[in-house]
Amino acid sequence: MVEIGNGIDGSVSGAKAGVTLGLPCMGQEPEERRDFLPSLARRVGNLGLDVFVETGLGAAMGYSDSDYFNASDRVRVVERSEAFAQDVVLVLRSPDDRFELMKPGATLVSMLHFPTRVQRYRRLKELGIEGVALDLIGDDSGRRLVENMEAVAWNGLEATFGALAQTYGGFKTHDREPIRVTIMGAGMVGKHAIEAATKYGSLERARVLSGYPGVEVTVLGRNLTSDGGYLRRRLGVTDVLVDSAYRSDSSRPLIPNEWIVDMPEHAVVCDLSVDPYLLDADPPTVRGIEGIPQGTLEQYVFWPHDPNWRATIPHAIPDTNRRTSVSCYSWPGIHPRACMHKYEEQLLPCLERLLAAGGAASLKVDGGYLERALYRASMGAWSALL
Amino acid sequence: MRVGLPRMHRETGEKRDFLPSFVASLDAAEAEEIVLEHGYGAQMGVPATDYGASSSKARFGSFQDCLAQDVVLQIRCLPEQFFGELRPGAVLMSMMHYQTRPERVRKLAQLGVRAVSLDGLVDDYGRRLIENLAAVGWNGVEAAFMELARSYPNFDDPARPPIRATVLGSGAVGAHAVHAASRYGDARLRDDMAAGGMMGVEVRVVDYDLTCHEDYMRSLLRSTDLLIDATQRPDPTRHVVSNDWLSEMPGHAVLLDLSVDPYDFSVDPPIVKGIEGMPQGTLDKFVFHPHDAAYEELDRPIATQHRRVALSCYSWPGRNPRDCMKVYGAQLEPILRVVLTKPVDEWDIDADSLYERALARAEIKRWLKSATA
Repeated sequence: MVEIGNGIDGSVSGAKAGVTLGLPCMGQEPEERRDFLPSLARRVGNLGLDVFVETGLGAAMGYSDSDYFNASDRVRVVERSEAFAQDVVLVLRSPDDRFELMKPGATLVSMLHFPTRVQRYRRLKELGIEGVALDLIGDDSGRRLVENMEAVAWNGLEATFGALAQTYGGFKTHDREPIRVTIMGAGMVGKHAIEAATKYGSLERARVLSGYPGVEVTVLGRNLTSDGGYLRRRLGVTDVLVDSAYRSDSSRPLIPNEWIVDMPEHAVVCDLSVDPYLLDADPPTVRGIEGIPQGTLEQYVFWPHDPNWRATIPHAIPDTNRRTSVSCYSWPGIHPRACMHKYEEQLLPCLERLLAAGGAASLKVDGGYLERALYRASMGAWSALL
Repeated sequence: MRVGLPRMHRETGEKRDFLPSFVASLDAAEAEEIVLEHGYGAQMGVPATDYGASSSKARFGSFQDCLAQDVVLQIRCLPEQFFGELRPGAVLMSMMHYQTRPERVRKLAQLGVRAVSLDGLVDDYGRRLIENLAAVGWNGVEAAFMELARSYPNFDDPARPPIRATVLGSGAVGAHAVHAASRYGDARLRDDMAAGGMMGVEVRVVDYDLTCHEDYMRSLLRSTDLLIDATQRPDPTRHVVSNDWLSEMPGHAVLLDLSVDPYDFSVDPPIVKGIEGMPQGTLDKFVFHPHDAAYEELDRPIATQHRRVALSCYSWPGRNPRDCMKVYGAQLEPILRVVLTKPVDEWDIDADSLYERALARAEIKRWLKSATA
């Protein structure tokens, strides 16, 4: 039986009757403030579906339970266990410790990163939970439909230029040279980083500095980052170094710590790739720029003498040569409301299609545009590969 | 709603038509009838029977028959002389480029055609929903490097310095151009060059706050092997790089125009290209050597004294027609249901639907209202 409502795709369309959506809190580290917004609950409620919101959702962004409750008469505010007990459960970052709260056959929609999180995939499989990885929803050309690479780049560069304004004495002088930014990697994040860098990481800052010499961005692909002699000369004329590279060999840094000494004292290092240090893995993973710390939403700017500099760097990694560094494991989380609004806009058409199908198990590989995109992100599609 | 799919009737190099899979999508989106012009898809090697097999609602008809439908869909906009054959109230979906085609907009509005600019279909953040900007960047840069490989004295010499590309503009086209340029526009060529020990490509990007500094730009151009215009100018009546500045560039340098801004001397002040003196290319002819007659055909106010090998094409994605139409067809698919099931007057700019909001913003009547507000 299909209930007729006003479809999110603008037409009259079907949402499968009785299908419910759960919106639990993310429950990650305290500084992670992101949750789905009341507007998403309202829009799904408008489809004629019941939405079960965990009490406290959005509280870190200033929303109250009543903001959700009042969004639609289909919204109920419930305890965590009930929010997880619905047919489709939507959480931005994977709730790894709470999978058991879901019922077998239910669908979890989250950033699941199947290719690099095989254990997570197996656990979901064991519990009989269907997963749809938000990070894998892509169109026929491979373009991600739910992504915020733009926020990765803009938030990272915004913090970087904020730091540079303090380290570079000539930052706000009319007779300075253009600020020279070197970006390693021209992929998805690098593309946004280019535009963000030409605008000082902020349209507002670009407006304020519109009369000053601007920013010259130089982008280096793999066949130049692999040339040590060239790269060291490049570092000598670099005010901002951005790592957005996707390395084919993550066991070796692109920039060994000893090369950092070639950079001007005022230079700032911007880490957008957020690779971790995993020295015990085989092969080990090291960061692209050796000896820089890994930041959090609580602290993402590290001055050279910062007492926390070494806190995230394994003992074996050299860090003698330091420049001010900015790094954060989740750059989009810096501006949580803007981030969640963007995800909501991108996700809603996909979510409606998923709800209309009744869950991930019913998705077809040869369905429509959105159904194909969802199928590719589902555990069914990945079962053959993992 | 009945849908017309006329052919484009442009230069012979323009082969693009929607694929049978798109016709199936129209059927699924509740089109009553789909009228394809005789010969549709033939230039891409698609047999007529494939269209018939994709939908029982598909039939072939004349060009005029296609234009007489409720919704008419064509990637490049119909020539203006055919606008009168569209029904008042019909929906015409094409790459309209409203901002740089004032005469086109005026005529469509006057005739009561409910145009929807495919290039104007954007989400709430301005991201285009129908785009193949990757193909703009990659196809253009690939062709430019083929020319540069001929003009650059030691292209295959491991002792040469990095190739230096300069990209004007850091928007979406510029970003793809950077990606492509860092790989010589061709992943295989990149691998060959790397295997041969040649240094790669250093790509510099400058935006409007540097392009307006003449001394800086002249200095930059002196060390530029490939200059790429990927600007989206707020004022298309002004050049970004004057022809005189090109004299600074090495003789082997190549110029690449990735913007689709044409010359238009019918408006005052005239619309000009970002790099002064660039000819306007087509899919049939997109490479212009310094002695090409095309330079002489440009209007007098355009300075062409300083020339390098130049590449320009109205439609870079059209160089790979099937790939291009596969991309456009898939991107259009979720939008069709709104177009075919909801009357154009009811499209709501505040709707829950991303696609309905995008359509409302890109529809000519509402666009004109917002542009004049």
